[in-house]
Amino acid sequence: MLKKIVKSSEFVTFTIIVLLSLIIGIINPAFFSLATVFDVLRASIVVSIMAFGLLLVIIAGGIDISFVAFAALASYGTHMFLLSRGYNGGIFLYYAIACVIGLGAGLLSGLIVTRFNLPIFDVSLAMMTMWYGFIRFFIGSTKNFKLPEGAVGYYSRFLVTVRDPFVGEAGLHFSILYVLIIGVLIHCLLKYTTLGRGIFAMGGNREVAIRSGFNIKGTLLVVFGILGVLSAFAGVTHSFLSRHFEPTLFMTQNLDVIAAVILGGASVTGGKGSVLGTFMGVILIQLINRAMVLTGITVEWQQLMIGLVLAFFISIPAIRDLINKRASRAVEVPEEI
Amino acid sequence: MTNEILRVENVSKAFAGVKALDQVSLTLQEGEILCLVGENGSGKSTMIKIISGVYHPDQGDIIINGHSYKQLTPIESMREGVQVIYQDFSLFPNLSVAENLVINEQLSSGRRLVNWKETYKTAERGLEEIHVSIPLDAMVSELSTADRQLIAVTKAILAEARIIIMDEPTTALTQKEIQSLFEVINNLKAKGISTIFVSHKLNEVTEIADRTVIFRNGRKVMDQDAKNLDIKTMEFYMTGHELDLDNSQLAQPDQQAAPLLEVEKLGLRGKFKDVSFQLRPGEVLGITGLLGSGRTELALALFGETPADSGTIRVEGREVTIRSIQDAMRNRIGYVPEDRILEGLFLQQTISDNIIVRIIDQMVNKIHLIRAGASKKVSDEWIGRLEVKTPSGELPAKSLSGGNQQRLVLAKWLASDPRILILNSPTVGVDVGSKASIHELIRNLASQGMGILLISDDIPELMQTCNRLILMRRGRTFGVFDREDITEEQLNQEMVADRVFSI
Repeated sequence: MLKKIVKSSEFVTFTIIVLLSLIIGIINPAFFSLATVFDVLRASIVVSIMAFGLLLVIIAGGIDISFVAFAALASYGTHMFLLSRGYNGGIFLYYAIACVIGLGAGLLSGLIVTRFNLPIFDVSLAMMTMWYGFIRFFIGSTKNFKLPEGAVGYYSRFLVTVRDPFVGEAGLHFSILYVLIIGVLIHCLLKYTTLGRGIFAMGGNREVAIRSGFNIKGTLLVVFGILGVLSAFAGVTHSFLSRHFEPTLFMTQNLDVIAAVILGGASVTGGKGSVLGTFMGVILIQLINRAMVLTGITVEWQQLMIGLVLAFFISIPAIRDLINKRASRAVEVPEEI
Repeated sequence: MTNEILRVENVSKAFAGVKALDQVSLTLQEGEILCLVGENGSGKSTMIKIISGVYHPDQGDIIINGHSYKQLTPIESMREGVQVIYQDFSLFPNLSVAENLVINEQLSSGRRLVNWKETYKTAERGLEEIHVSIPLDAMVSELSTADRQLIAVTKAILAEARIIIMDEPTTALTQKEIQSLFEVINNLKAKGISTIFVSHKLNEVTEIADRTVIFRNGRKVMDQDAKNLDIKTMEFYMTGHELDLDNSQLAQPDQQAAPLLEVEKLGLRGKFKDVSFQLRPGEVLGITGLLGSGRTELALALFGETPADSGTIRVEGREVTIRSIQDAMRNRIGYVPEDRILEGLFLQQTISDNIIVRIIDQMVNKIHLIRAGASKKVSDEWIGRLEVKTPSGELPAKSLSGGNQQRLVLAKWLASDPRILILNSPTVGVDVGSKASIHELIRNLASQGMGILLISDDIPELMQTCNRLILMRRGRTFGVFDREDITEEQLNQEMVADRVFSI
């Protein structure tokens, strides 16, 4: 059992997180504080929610890059619509409308993929470009900072707060609960439902999945529906946390989310991945981002670092292989009897 | 044991006017092991697909458990207890053993939730049925081919199979694994489950069959109790003529000619050591030994894939270094790998593209575009010379049957005009008819002055094609024999002796 845990890719991610934390902490002891934990978690909320949706697509054997556009469309579209209606209520209606928009956009991608039997990546490339264009042409092209009155205090609604010697008061934002709830739901979907096992099955061997009687098209539609809804949810959450709405939300951040899912142990070729791993992948990326600030390394190094860690991480199976080979080579040819 | 479970009556099936099956009848008793034997294209696979409901016969009836079907569907076939184990086993590599075993039942039951406890319990019960133990939580990707096969068998049992059809189940198994598979099949027999065993390895057929049926050109040419059936008779029925096993046509190499290839004290740490031999033009030199004796590693070293780290290699008297496949090709050394599908072919590409891939440089015009005319000429020539059975060179390589794929790999190498050809187990998974013609081809190539290294553990094959034999044991040459000086029995003993040592 223990051996299995140690061999798992989640464990590798976890180890990297621990080692990285120790290094940062040694350079800058201010790192070891609850304020840091809260800060890293807060930065992980939005990315995690999107990553959970993307995880399903990746396990099913595809890569989607358009989910960021779903988020932008749903959050910015909902906001501009409600603004024009003079809405001043709470955040709930935002989530409700945005999720419906996200569901629609996700299902549209899903329908194109299943209907014409196209590669997910190709479709998502087209959809991403299309939706960002759609937003700027039909909805608006400037950032909007006007929030409805019912949602003004949202960004500082904390679960707990602590006093920190360096940053003053630091709090854990309550939307981390969303991550927890969504994470548990997705985990259960993957682990305990026939649908979830079908996602793994089709990522592992699509032909056999079809032959065994899995409803591949139906499964993909559900996967895209969930991706759409979660992206929309993340988009709205991000906009309220950052107190503004923008038409090009997340436009360049889709690769970071993909990187997080892969650092979490999912396989780009499909059939492998977990919610816990994905969450740790997100944490790792946020940690690297923080590390730069806290150790005084310039921002330009962030991408280099993430790239290096990623390169190391994806090489692990090959490195293991190499070590095994070396070990077997070391055995001399036995002398003749 | 006289209950008839399956009866196929006068079934015919044609594809585009070509008769794949012609008035074939077949019966299967409860608990019987029926071997279905025939060359490629004899109609075996068509028969399997008709029994499993994938194809509908043009004529004839299928009667399973007393129910008569004109148009059997796959679902009906499964409901009657027919389970086919295809060569790819239909498993999910990324899922656990337990889940793979239970996943079909999970789907057909229509349950939306997964009960893991129940899954493990059912899986365990399934494995107990055939008395094997494989860790239930292991990923299928971590298992050996043999274990995967056992999983596929267990899966069939859990689906309450009454008839299990195995399509060429032993192709990728070692001798020991084949024995344990046979044990499992006999186990099934004891439970009253019938097996249809499709194979062209005749020695296995004699070992396992209760009854043997032989197909040739879509007709059943023999159907009899396996007890008094020997391999020679089966070969006769399969091919329709006595196989020509005469060795006299073996060309003798010119003993005076300078050696094509000289290998001296070649070694690779941990794989083989102190290997020395000479290969003359026109000679077929057999290299044999058990798996792990270093025979394949030696071949790969000569071909530069895993280069040797000590010793010298001389080609036509010149000392050469072979550090890469490109080096080997420059010295006109060709290699036909063991696993033709994994190593030898681009299955999605056309047959002619596969043939010209090694000589693509010669096929281009001034601005480096491929001259279609030239490539077609070359590929058609080789398709003709090696008798690759295909309507067109423009079809993808995967459309060919196993034996024809093997010929295609040969064609690919021969097109590049090698002087030295290394063949690694060239007839594994090939039926007897194709085997004989590949052997003839090897002898022909040698008589044209090529030097051939034939790596194989098929002793009759070695005896029929080689001038000399090198026996390898644990990475060393154990003996060099002239073919005239050794008999099949002696060679067999030498190899078995190694097995005793290695335990």
